[in-house]
Amino acid sequence: MDRTKAVTRARFLTLIGGGALLGYGGARVWGRAIKGWRYNTVEKPVPNFDPEEYRLVVDGMVERPLTLTYSELRALPAIRQVSDFHCVEGWGVDDVQWDGVRLQTIIDLVRPTSTAKYVTFHSLGDLYRDSLSMQQARLPDALVAYDMDGEPLRVDHGLPLRLVMPRMFGYKGPKWLTRIEFVDDQDTGYWEARGWRMDAFINA
Amino acid sequence: MVARFGPGTRLAHWSLAVPFVLLLLTGLTNYWPELKAIHVGGARLFGWLHVLLGFGMLGIVAALLVTVLPRKAVRGDARQLAEVGLDDYLWLQHQGLRLAGESSNPPPVRKFNAGQKLNALASLVVTAGLLGTGVVLGVNYVSKEVFSVGLVEPLFRWHTRLALVFVPVLLGHVYLALLHPSTRESLRGMTRGVVRREWARRHHGAWEAALEREPGARR
Repeated sequence: MDRTKAVTRARFLTLIGGGALLGYGGARVWGRAIKGWRYNTVEKPVPNFDPEEYRLVVDGMVERPLTLTYSELRALPAIRQVSDFHCVEGWGVDDVQWDGVRLQTIIDLVRPTSTAKYVTFHSLGDLYRDSLSMQQARLPDALVAYDMDGEPLRVDHGLPLRLVMPRMFGYKGPKWLTRIEFVDDQDTGYWEARGWRMDAFINA
Repeated sequence: MVARFGPGTRLAHWSLAVPFVLLLLTGLTNYWPELKAIHVGGARLFGWLHVLLGFGMLGIVAALLVTVLPRKAVRGDARQLAEVGLDDYLWLQHQGLRLAGESSNPPPVRKFNAGQKLNALASLVVTAGLLGTGVVLGVNYVSKEVFSVGLVEPLFRWHTRLALVFVPVLLGHVYLALLHPSTRESLRGMTRGVVRREWARRHHGAWEAALEREPGARR
């Protein structure tokens, strides 16, 4: 009788302990699965970022082409912006904090010529591209960001730099940004070539 | 052998179970970037399969409601799934005691025990919820112009919650039907429609006794 009771108690404690552990692990996985980022990239392997080698090139139809090192980029006038991220797939992440440079700041530095009508954004892997009209690039919330939620971008979020367009779906924000090119003809981006809209403003 | 499920009930079960599992598998590719990235002719393979299967399942549900549900045997099974009684309480108590390591004999339950009823209820709620939210998400998959992100994103989260919370229920159901030594015999009831009388007596004593008294009756 005593032995049965002891076994029952041990089993009871195992159940409670196991349940608590499962609950804790499950809640963490659950939170990520429901509200977290889903990691999408077409660049495989993920482009490698070397802070010494990296350059951001801003060129094309501009009066003053610009090449910035990572530290020069971080020394430009910066802003902090909190916005919701919306993926075209139907998921989103609320209240993401971005630190970076307004596109307008870069536009003022390079002074596009009057023939420049569009901006093409190139990714380090040389595969992913996207584009904006000049008008969209001048929006006050158009940002190239190097920090997310107070820390440098994680590699899978586009270290060292990504474009952030809060009012457009996420595919308009190339990661691992390495070149900003001012052009007279709009480039068909990676997803636009696969049927997504060029003008990705969100139906809010 | 005793008859457990008629052709209508079996048809309803399998014509919902097969697309459900296919939908679950194509949906889970969301968590597997390599599979998710597969494109055929410019379209995301598993995404489109999921959306088309979803609309197909809506059609299946509509067809079942019209053709199979009115059958007497099917309505009888549905009614017995919904009837809660003392045997359900005793069955849950029996399982609780066994879980705690005590010895306990199974009570004579009717055609469905409390576990089967809970499984049916969970399946009903989850399927209805997934189809309801899925209609909006499916339309949104085709065109982003119809609904706002303010509607789509919460529904997307609920769709995900419902699907993920059902995975362990489904795994348990499949385990009990295919692997668990004392319950796997019941699978034959859903494939060929019959179970051994001995199994019926042990697992559904009240149901078997009623069959004994009244052969031919489904109760």
